[in-house]
Amino acid sequence: MRKSLFLLLALILLCSHDLYIKMETYFLRPNQEATLSLYNGTFEKSENIITRDRLIDASIVAQGKRSPIQTEKWQDKDTTITQLPFTTGEAGTYVVGVSTKARNIELNAEAFNSYLENDGVLDMIEQRKKDSAMNEDAVESYQKHVKAIYQVGDTKTNDWSTVLGYPIEFVPKANPYEKYSGEKLEVQLLLDGKPLSNQLVYANYIKNGASHTHKNKNAEHTHGEETHSHTHSHDESTDNHSHQEQNNGENHTHTNGQQLRTDDQGYATVELPEDGIYYLRTIYMTKVTDSEELTHQSKWATLSFEVSHKHDESTHTHDHDHEGSFPTWVFILGSLFIIGLLFLVFRKRS
Amino acid sequence: MHVNLKRTLTLLFITIPLLGFAHEVSISDQEILRNGGLWAYIRVGATHMLTGYDHLLFLAGVIFYLTNFKDILKFITVFTVAHCVTLIGATYLGIKANEHLVDAVIALSVFYKGFENLGGFEKLKIKPPDLLFMVGIFGLIHGFGLSTRLQSFETGKEQFLAKILCFNLGVEIGQVIALIPIVFLITLSRKHKQFPAFYKAVNWYIVLAGIGLFIYQLYGYSLGHS
Repeated sequence: MRKSLFLLLALILLCSHDLYIKMETYFLRPNQEATLSLYNGTFEKSENIITRDRLIDASIVAQGKRSPIQTEKWQDKDTTITQLPFTTGEAGTYVVGVSTKARNIELNAEAFNSYLENDGVLDMIEQRKKDSAMNEDAVESYQKHVKAIYQVGDTKTNDWSTVLGYPIEFVPKANPYEKYSGEKLEVQLLLDGKPLSNQLVYANYIKNGASHTHKNKNAEHTHGEETHSHTHSHDESTDNHSHQEQNNGENHTHTNGQQLRTDDQGYATVELPEDGIYYLRTIYMTKVTDSEELTHQSKWATLSFEVSHKHDESTHTHDHDHEGSFPTWVFILGSLFIIGLLFLVFRKRS
Repeated sequence: MHVNLKRTLTLLFITIPLLGFAHEVSISDQEILRNGGLWAYIRVGATHMLTGYDHLLFLAGVIFYLTNFKDILKFITVFTVAHCVTLIGATYLGIKANEHLVDAVIALSVFYKGFENLGGFEKLKIKPPDLLFMVGIFGLIHGFGLSTRLQSFETGKEQFLAKILCFNLGVEIGQVIALIPIVFLITLSRKHKQFPAFYKAVNWYIVLAGIGLFIYQLYGYSLGHS
């Protein structure tokens, strides 16, 4: 019995790997060395690398140009995180996207129901209940398409609105880097390029660098008011699973934060209550009726970005308007020019 | 001192835009502080001093007035001790004022030094205040300006005093780095036969810069935009 429960839990966890593009900070300087990570697990902890054969597309969009990320540039950090070390370019708002191939997973009815619940695929649970299909096993095809938007320097560019053409993707209605804590951001969800209405979207955030660390071995992190720690690891090959919830046996869940539903135009409004790294996730799942192999198909999308506070009188008292726009050497040369001019005047007079 | 008004205003007009860019402190600095620990405070402190042209112009003015190295050391020590007192004290106690107003007063100190170096008080037949005393007073004001800047960053409460001290250490490092070429150039220029013209040119520049900075800061304050 215990073994069965263990296997069930492992299966639940196996199929509840979200994929995110994550950075330590999404505010970078021009020509700075940085690293972006593919977090395969939760936003707090990655548990698996992404093998290169799974990547259909990996691109960075900047200055109106979309550039593919060369496969060989990805690196694996131990067996848990796939990373891309890169050097930022000119100042601007950048979009990075990764799209993965579809894979199949076979789950018994109990595991499938638990996974739907834990991952917040509530509409499918309702449909299964309605169809009296809660006892039916499932073979699901899943694919993941993820994006991040980061800001280099202070110049805002329009690349944030780029539609990468993934089967499912989030596209914000405004530049997230022109939004500040305390405000709201509208985000459109596109399915095959068209607005996806009435779809559940989950949005959450972590406080950024200064108050949050991911380096402790037990990956202790906070969901809302509660803190728990994981010591699990799971692999696509289904071996080596363990999971120890240390929080009164509370179920692991991916649905913390804001639960939103897209409107007729596919828009959901995300609250940005405070500074932090925000991440949105959704799983669009449908029943498959025309396949002998599959029972369900799901398309997963995530989007991450960082929000800072407004730099105005109410929050800061120093001027950010001309940051970096006027190099020190210009000031020095300008001053030397004026001193030189004055020198000529006084020399002539003397 | 007989440079005509039109020429003076023209130069002032040229100078103002440049002065607006004193203190290149940015969101990037905030990110450095957020992620870099105590070393980041040293780095940002040094960067701030090296790009804090008002502080450097004032120091250049002080050094121009002094002719021997012992005096330079004495005045710089007084300035340093004074700005450390207000930088550490005001930051630790959370005392701050509108940054534009503080910087406007610092701009006046820059103007003051250039004015004094050009013999302004003598021309007005006024006995100038004791320079060492004034350098101490202006040091306190400059320190308060540095404190206001540090307080504009999110520093958090952890290791608060250590962060202030590291920022202060960075400021001193930046000051030493900036002073080396300034002292070297001024000392070298004294040996040149054109030194009087150079002296006037630099000190007139300091006067114009002081006025320009003052106007710029008041303009910033009037906009309520900081």
